[in-house]
Amino acid sequence: MENVQDLKKRLKSIGNINKITKAMELVAATKMRRAQEIALASRPYAFAALDLLANVSLLNTDLPELLKARKVEKTLFVLVASDKGLAGAFNSSVFKKFESVYKTSKDQAVFVTVGEKAFNYVSKKRLTVIKKFTNVGDFTTTEQVQPLADFLVAGYLAGDFDKVTVFSTHFRSALKQESLTREVLPITFESLQQTVKDIIPDKGKFADLIKEQQINFVPSKDVINEYLVEPSAKEVLADLAKHLFFMQMYHLILEANASEHAARRMAMKTASDNAGELKQALNLQYNKVRQSAITNQIIEIIAGAESLN
Amino acid sequence: MKLSIYSLKKVIFAGEASLLNCNTIAGEITILDNHENLITVLATGVMKVIDKDKKENFFEIKSGFLEVRQGNEVRCMVE
Repeated sequence: MENVQDLKKRLKSIGNINKITKAMELVAATKMRRAQEIALASRPYAFAALDLLANVSLLNTDLPELLKARKVEKTLFVLVASDKGLAGAFNSSVFKKFESVYKTSKDQAVFVTVGEKAFNYVSKKRLTVIKKFTNVGDFTTTEQVQPLADFLVAGYLAGDFDKVTVFSTHFRSALKQESLTREVLPITFESLQQTVKDIIPDKGKFADLIKEQQINFVPSKDVINEYLVEPSAKEVLADLAKHLFFMQMYHLILEANASEHAARRMAMKTASDNAGELKQALNLQYNKVRQSAITNQIIEIIAGAESLN
Repeated sequence: MKLSIYSLKKVIFAGEASLLNCNTIAGEITILDNHENLITVLATGVMKVIDKDKKENFFEIKSGFLEVRQGNEVRCMVE
């Protein structure tokens, strides 16, 4: 029979774990909501910027460096994961996706990691990490994403790499996230469009927004407007490309953040549910043990009284 | 004119305005009603907007774009 004291100790520690996971769940839920709201706030900007890009690119056939595809010799992989664990399958699904793509790629590869876990993973595989970014999990302002975007643009323009592929997580809804691969450099219309579309989650609180704003990104040829462009279409386009790229990176990071917090919320919810179940089972066992101890004592007393007679 | 100013964080201004004054990389410009179609790059400075109630609004900007579209519509993307 199990000791009453031991059972009591276990009950108490499980109660504490339950409290901790519950608290983590609530914190993650709040952070997730905030990341989502920030992403949505920048939606008008993204739409307007894309529209402008469509207009400017009509005026100019000479594309700036960031928009031009060149022969790929070296690929940069950016892995976006979290700094901390306890987020369910959030990190491992990104790594799994990366592995399936990496196996098939034959180009030379270099790596940039975002998040401590991504860095640990890549260095464990003995691959070259040229730069790591950490503490991204609670990024909310544009200034915090700037170093990453600047680094990628500078490296691309200097010819350090010819293609940038990002592995991160797409936030489909609070309950569902999936890992995704996106080629961010050279910039293509398709990937930009996809980013803008992805700002709105498929389901949940903000999903209705998609219906009220249907925007066509493909510029129609028959309404060609005459524009006066200062200083020149080429310069505007080059500058715009940089801003759009930054916007894209900003969204990827925000989305990964929302996903991380959503994944953590789910993991913590499961953990607290399990702790609750365990607590119930242990409580039952504890009561049984206690009861049988009392019964034993009564039997002993009765036996003692009877032997006196 | 219909003016909208967007930033990555929020919509800074949306509504009717009578005047917009800002710095571009080619110099300071003022946009009034029915301006010619224009695309330009904004430079660091303060943007001044006079709305339909004759109230002056000032926004500090770091960089951005300005687009004057057909139909008396102006759009800015700023940072």
